[in-house]
Amino acid sequence: MNHTMKLTICRVEGAMIRALGLIERRGFAVTSINATENEPAQQLELIIGLRSADRSVDVLARQIEKLFDVCSVSLLQHNESALELKESMAC
Amino acid sequence: MMTGAQLLIRALEQEGVETIFGYPGGAIMPVYDALVDSRLDHILVRHEQGAVMAADGYARTSGRVGVCMATSGPGATNLITGIANAFLDSVPLVAITGQVPTALMGTDAFQEVDIFGMTMPIVKHSFLVRRVEDIPRVVGEAFHIAAEGRPGPVLIDLPKDITNTSTSQPPLFEMKSNDLDGPDPDEVEAACRMIRAARQPVLYAGGGVGIGRAVDAFREYVRASGIPVVATLKGLGALPTRDPAFIGMLGMHGNQAANEVVQAADLLICVGARFDDRATGRLDGFAPRAKVVHLDADPAEISKLRHADAALLGDLRQSLAALPTDLSLDAWQAWCSERKQTREWRYDAPGKGIYVPHMLRQISEADPELVVSCDVGQHQMWVAQHCHFKRPEQHLTSAGLGAMGYGIPAAIGAQFADPAARVLTVSGDGSIMMNIQELATINRYQLPIKIVLVDNASLGLVRQWQQLFHGERYSEVDLSDNPDFVAVAKSFGIPGFRVEQRTEVAGAIDRLLNSEGPMLAHVCIDPMSNVWPLVPPGQTNDVMLEEQSA
Ligand SMILES: Cc1ncc(C[n+]2csc(CCOP(=O)(O)OP(=O)(O)O)c2C)c(N)n1
Repeated sequence: MNHTMKLTICRVEGAMIRALGLIERRGFAVTSINATENEPAQQLELIIGLRSADRSVDVLARQIEKLFDVCSVSLLQHNESALELKESMAC
Repeated sequence: MMTGAQLLIRALEQEGVETIFGYPGGAIMPVYDALVDSRLDHILVRHEQGAVMAADGYARTSGRVGVCMATSGPGATNLITGIANAFLDSVPLVAITGQVPTALMGTDAFQEVDIFGMTMPIVKHSFLVRRVEDIPRVVGEAFHIAAEGRPGPVLIDLPKDITNTSTSQPPLFEMKSNDLDGPDPDEVEAACRMIRAARQPVLYAGGGVGIGRAVDAFREYVRASGIPVVATLKGLGALPTRDPAFIGMLGMHGNQAANEVVQAADLLICVGARFDDRATGRLDGFAPRAKVVHLDADPAEISKLRHADAALLGDLRQSLAALPTDLSLDAWQAWCSERKQTREWRYDAPGKGIYVPHMLRQISEADPELVVSCDVGQHQMWVAQHCHFKRPEQHLTSAGLGAMGYGIPAAIGAQFADPAARVLTVSGDGSIMMNIQELATINRYQLPIKIVLVDNASLGLVRQWQQLFHGERYSEVDLSDNPDFVAVAKSFGIPGFRVEQRTEVAGAIDRLLNSEGPMLAHVCIDPMSNVWPLVPPGQTNDVMLEEQSA
């Protein structure tokens, strides 16, 4: 499933890696990324293309929203299928 | 004027910190220098993992933020397991690391590692301090973030030039505390409808009940609603484990009755839990007929693994108070009680060897107020199954990470948090070796911690899995060349004794619990003892192996 997410993050050390790291760790591939600096606001706006076979992008958005350097999150293109959660493979 | 290090110490004092667990080294030396003139108690451990896990035990026992400190490089990396432990168990913690001077950062300097980068996935937040004036703000924010909402660890990395720089910055920084909101009224209404319609509801309590200080509200709701309760490993004690409404721990090593009740439920009211795979078993067969009402402080937990039909976000106390109580569940309650009775544990195992479940039950009956920490393995599951807990803070266990080595440092932290508490740690012969050096800390501070070392001369839980799921192909689980643990303890200044026979157990418990200072009971058991019952990995919680069926 492909999605597009818009993120506004504070321009502080580690903010970008923190957000992108979380996205990958939570099972999404980044398919495109475009960053624009908002100098006066000390912010960075990121438009990120995402893909995941089976993870919920709504849950991802809530996980990203919890990051302290993230000012806002929105889903521009939202292709959530009916929530389909796979059996946990952990043992 | 103050140095950055002095400013840090003042800021920690302003936060109300009293105790720091740590270990010095080059990059953190300015801070250790400033400590000399401070009223903070610094507890010198013997390995940084001991520091972070003691801070974790301190936090879990006291409900306050635990603090630990280490130098750069190896000191910092030695903290990592403990930070991950606090992250997965939502423990409020501030870890302070020294860093090489700013000018050397990024040059592969001596003892330079990017601890800020390395810990990113396992912290709630982290700071790399670049300006000395930022220290009070960073400390204020770090403590606030560690404790608010769903708690977690926060890292502060402090380059040495920053702690050495002088500044006139005052140490004060005010954080406004924002209380959690209550739940959304529409969701409350939906939840109430579902609860009223349910015939077979179950309350599924997680660690969030204790963390969210919602124990009283939870108990009140259990009493008023009459809904049967199951708990996760971290939820134990949310309701006293002896309460008639408590059916048991669910999941892989839970009890049969708890799993049966959940599998039969038509509504699960999940309170501060996260559908962890150890609790749910195979997810698509977990509580297959149940709708879910999920109460949590963390929005990211809603529908992460199991769809929530109603989500009550925010303060658990407010959410619980909004739920309906006048329910008539007589038939369901009777069925749950009947299940509980049928599955009641029997402690009359045959044989002369020591039966750990019975021993642990006897210990917790001998002193119901004991704070029990444990390590990881079979003994950890026996503690969860057979000790009684009146409150969640009585049970310190590495639940999410399952980190061997947690038990002794956690007990140390608990003892510092509450010097009057009676603290027991239950360890295994594998686990104890992971932080055995902390026996020196117990001795140095003369902490009256009691240690029960359950020695099966093997990595018992791994051996059990190899026996059951790998066709008895035993691989690297034999520990029959263990040292003489009583002699080891003695060399650390801790008296100990060995117990091998069932007939000696009562006397041993008496001796252990009534000793003045620290004491180790080295309990030798049959290496082939197993933990029962057990849901095999990948199965649903309907499938529980029992001793006879294995
Ligand atoms: C740090 C760490 N390494 C490895 C493991 C994997 N592991 C889980 S239980 C276990 C055996 C523990 O042995 P012991 O402490 O003797 O406890 P027992 O199961 O025998 O009661 C191991 C190796 C772990 N949980 N933590």
